[in-house]
Amino acid sequence: MDDELVDKVVLRYLKNKGFNDTELKSYEDKLIHSRTSSSPSPIDPQLSQLLLHFGSESESLPAQYQDGYSKLRSWAYGSLDLYKHELLRVLYPVFIHCFMDLVAKGYLQEARNFFNTFREDHEVMHQRDLQKLEGVLSPSHLEEMEFAHTLRQSKVNIKICQYAHGLLYKYLHNTQSITMLGVINEHIHFDPYPGQPSSIIDDSEAVTIVGGGQDAVNLINQKEIQWGVLEDSLEDRLEKTGGLLLESDKVDVENKEGENEETKKKSADGGKQAAPSKKAKKDKVNVAAGKPARPEAITTSIAPRVKPELSLPVMPIEVEQSILDDLRNRVQLSSASLPSVCFYTFLNTHNGLNCASISHDGALVAGGFSDSSLKVWDMSKRGQQTSNSGQSDQEAASNDNVLGTNIDKRPYTLFRGHSGPVYSASFSPLGDFILSSSADSTGMFFKSLWPPRTASCSALGIPFLTYSSINIMIAVRLWSTNLNANLVCYKGHNYPVWDVQFSPFGHYFASCSHDRTARVWSMDRVQPLRIMAGHLSDVDCVRWHVNCNYIATGSSDKTVRLWDIQTGECVRIFIGHRSMILSLAMSPDGRYMASGDEDGTIMMWDLATGRCITPLVGHTSCVWTLAFSGEGSLLASGSADCSVKLWDVNSSTKTTKSEEKNSDTKLILQFSRRNLLFGAGVFSKPS
Amino acid sequence: MSVVQKETIEVIAQSIGITNLSPDAALAVAPDVEYRVREIMQEAIKCMRHSKRIVLTAEDVDAALKLRNVEPIYGFASNDPLRFKRAAGHHDLFYVNDCDLELKNITEAPLPRAPLDTSVLVHWLAIEGVQPSIPENPPAEALAASSDGKKLECKEEGPPIDIKLPVKHVLSRELQLYFDKIIELTTHKSGTVLFKEALRSLATDSGLHPLLPYFTCFVADEVSRNLTKFDLLFALMRVVWSVLQNQHIHLEPYLHQLMPSILTCLVAKRLGNRLSDNHWELRNFTANLVATICRRFGHVYHNLQPRVTRTLLHAFLDPTKALPQHYGAIQGLAALGPRVVRLLILPNLLPYMQLLEPEMQLEGQKNEIKRQEAWRVYGALLFAAGQCMHDHLKKFPSLPLPMTASTLKLDKKVATILSSEILIYKLSCKRKADMDNLLQQPPLKKLSGDGSMGAIPMNSMHGNMQGVAGGYNADGGVSGMTQQVQNENTPGSSSTRGKADSQAQNASLVLAQAWKDDTDGSRLLSSLFECFGDGMFSFTPAPESLMFL
Repeated sequence: MDDELVDKVVLRYLKNKGFNDTELKSYEDKLIHSRTSSSPSPIDPQLSQLLLHFGSESESLPAQYQDGYSKLRSWAYGSLDLYKHELLRVLYPVFIHCFMDLVAKGYLQEARNFFNTFREDHEVMHQRDLQKLEGVLSPSHLEEMEFAHTLRQSKVNIKICQYAHGLLYKYLHNTQSITMLGVINEHIHFDPYPGQPSSIIDDSEAVTIVGGGQDAVNLINQKEIQWGVLEDSLEDRLEKTGGLLLESDKVDVENKEGENEETKKKSADGGKQAAPSKKAKKDKVNVAAGKPARPEAITTSIAPRVKPELSLPVMPIEVEQSILDDLRNRVQLSSASLPSVCFYTFLNTHNGLNCASISHDGALVAGGFSDSSLKVWDMSKRGQQTSNSGQSDQEAASNDNVLGTNIDKRPYTLFRGHSGPVYSASFSPLGDFILSSSADSTGMFFKSLWPPRTASCSALGIPFLTYSSINIMIAVRLWSTNLNANLVCYKGHNYPVWDVQFSPFGHYFASCSHDRTARVWSMDRVQPLRIMAGHLSDVDCVRWHVNCNYIATGSSDKTVRLWDIQTGECVRIFIGHRSMILSLAMSPDGRYMASGDEDGTIMMWDLATGRCITPLVGHTSCVWTLAFSGEGSLLASGSADCSVKLWDVNSSTKTTKSEEKNSDTKLILQFSRRNLLFGAGVFSKPS
Repeated sequence: MSVVQKETIEVIAQSIGITNLSPDAALAVAPDVEYRVREIMQEAIKCMRHSKRIVLTAEDVDAALKLRNVEPIYGFASNDPLRFKRAAGHHDLFYVNDCDLELKNITEAPLPRAPLDTSVLVHWLAIEGVQPSIPENPPAEALAASSDGKKLECKEEGPPIDIKLPVKHVLSRELQLYFDKIIELTTHKSGTVLFKEALRSLATDSGLHPLLPYFTCFVADEVSRNLTKFDLLFALMRVVWSVLQNQHIHLEPYLHQLMPSILTCLVAKRLGNRLSDNHWELRNFTANLVATICRRFGHVYHNLQPRVTRTLLHAFLDPTKALPQHYGAIQGLAALGPRVVRLLILPNLLPYMQLLEPEMQLEGQKNEIKRQEAWRVYGALLFAAGQCMHDHLKKFPSLPLPMTASTLKLDKKVATILSSEILIYKLSCKRKADMDNLLQQPPLKKLSGDGSMGAIPMNSMHGNMQGVAGGYNADGGVSGMTQQVQNENTPGSSSTRGKADSQAQNASLVLAQAWKDDTDGSRLLSSLFECFGDGMFSFTPAPESLMFL
């Protein structure tokens, strides 16, 4: 009886799989033969039942997925509140894999139906992924699409408390939802932990895909990193001398600060524009990795000292002096004493401004435009003009520019050389060089190689092979602000370079690109020193660690990675963002890192542990820029929702003081060494 | 289910000439097309993010196509986001309105204005955490409103506008009502008592400053549009006058907008379209207005008065301009004070009188109106010159007339001759009234009595005056003038030093210039006394005239 049953099931299965009659016949014969020859094996009745179940249902596989998922869903929603959020977490991976299974098996219409029925559940959390997946309409797309491919290849890691884990499996067995069980076993890796279920906050890990799986991530994140500031830095020296400062001197310094603020206020009230330039002459130089200069700051003693792994350029004495002077005069910021913000508004950009950069003294402002130009405004010169001649002359000057009578009378220096939109610009710490990155393409041929003929390349994980045989060179260019000329053109990236950043001490710089790599260069070599590869999607932003031994990169794969400059290895992976990372900032003491994403979430990470300390929620749109204050007590964020927000880092609570401005999109924020916050943005027409 | 349907593919196929597309092929192609489009859009969004924008443009799609090494679709790139329109009857179907354009119209159209160049503006977003209330920063109410997350609305695309500061301020309802009321009164009921009340309110109320830009705009607009409406113009000038009187209003920033309108009311060719319109009165009124403005804001705007005088002088010296315009210019200059008159009108008086004289005569000008106008101008000149003289008589009672006379002759550089000329004239032709003689003679006699004493200072003054006469700069010239007058007085009265050596020099100079300027001088004098004979005297302060009498 049992044997017959099994035979029947097997035969039906084979038929389903498309074996033809002759094959079936032979198999039947074989079966009969074997049965007769061997003694009937005892078959677990439960198993046979399952098999039968499997066989009978396989007639309508899509319905099976649909039913299974909807049952699982209603069960999860109906579960105990305590475990509910953990169980709900399971639903999303099950959902997308069910969908992809259906697509892969060719049930396209059913897959669509399934997708549209349940997508609303996940709309809030995973909108962008869903939008990507929505386009998958044939099995070949699954192979081709990077995202889907990685999803299929890797297992999702879900942390779940033991009890909830048990509950889930009990349910799956009891209801005999074999399909669901299969999906879960195949694509989800459970990481049960004893005790009570965790809080709701950190549940987003489930969705982020990391190459090599969670274990690899854990392994990577266990590596040791030296996050301290550099030994014998200027701050150190200042501290030593600062200890010798008498109380009266300190008071003196305080007074000076007071005066400084006074003058700032005055000039602001007068609407004068010369204020930043006034400082320009004084602090025309390098930023040193800022860190509380005053002995009273708490973190100072804790931050360890590390040796530089790179040979750092030597600073001229007078530059050092001026930096020390600036550090001594730095305004202490906290949630109680907020900084002054000086804002540069770009007018008449015609939607063309892609990026902006401000030199450390605020005297130079650079804008990168989509018409391939890079323009640099010297505020110190303009301040003189305005103070001398007043507004009418300025107007006259601008009229001249419109007429184009006198090129020299342009209020800015124009750097031409790129042949594509300029996506990023970065001033060297001394302000004498600018780096710009763009989508330069020299000799690009539009061969109709797209869509790629062979999906095999992407299946092999070399997605770009199909395209990159074509001669494309994307350049990072180095310009001199003194000579007003292009000095070097660094070729290496094959695709648009999204971001470029000078190291805190100059000389070295890092770039990142659509080709999924970040590269470290030195100014004197046209070849990169290191290539950091590992991100699964575009690398969108790059920042240096204060001690120059690491760089952090943010990517469209929703992870932030920390790379060791010396070895070129990934030493940390930070998982938690739900959308593309747009901005990064490193705290001056080297301990923390902040990252901002497309949704407006800012996350504060502890570099040592690789964990998110606290998500800072407040912005409603893309966070374009982040900046730590000189001593690391405040974090400033600028967003597309036209606001600048200041976050208190030390209290780690979400006490925010927001300053809004209606008409400007904030593109860049930066603290000067004296803790004056510079910002730049585009004026957008009010509707 | 999917966005791209089988039918879509069929339609596209037909549009490119494939008629025999099998349904299977269409069915197979449709999902792939959708997938590719989605892929491109995804890349385009990446490009958009890196351009730091939140609105997708055609450029982003092009960039995405380039990333994929596909030739971009040319012709759609625009820096502005596309304007989508909703298809009627479908809630989720949008299209770009792509209307046909006549090529001829495009080629013949004038070139558009060059786009404005990018510029950078610096301001304080916050000072120690507090946002200052400056025009660049939005007011507190606007901030509160914006946090509600207002959606940006698509606006019809206009020509490129120079984006100025995003000045936003909120006018209270009361102020709006007030403004509307004033506008109504000014435009329609300028004769009523209510309007007078309104003017008084404008001159005294303290909370009107927010309305000032609107008033400025209103005045400028209305003046340029309604030059034929006399009543309205007068009402507008009264409004300006009242605003000027108001102590709580800071007019300075708006002067550059107001001045053109005011000057228009002063020197326009026609003000009002009826004969009965007393535009002379309006010009007088406006002249005073201009003078008041120059007095009040001259120290803030150093170039204000020079610019005004330049404009007026231009109108005055242009013979092609109509007489009412001359009148306005003269009135304006006269209102600016005797110094301006002395420097700008008197030197040009003689040539001007030559032009004016035929207009005033019955035989020269048949048109009654024109003749009347000429007389008006004459009156204005008389008034101006007389006031100027009056001023001098008051200032230098001891030596009144030679001073006036010498000033009159500044540009002729015959300061020394003047006195003798007058004397000669007085002696030779006696057709003028005795009053004149009385007025003129005493100082002249004194001069001649002084003999050489008077000649020396005059001579020295002549040298100094040259420099002054060269420039029209009111301030410098005038101060120089007074200084010289003092110079003249001191050596003239006290010093006889260098008398001998300069006397010979002086004699030759007098002779040389005397015959050269003979004709001019006598003509000037004749016209001068013809014009101002009686009038001059009326401006002489009573004690002086009594003394002379």
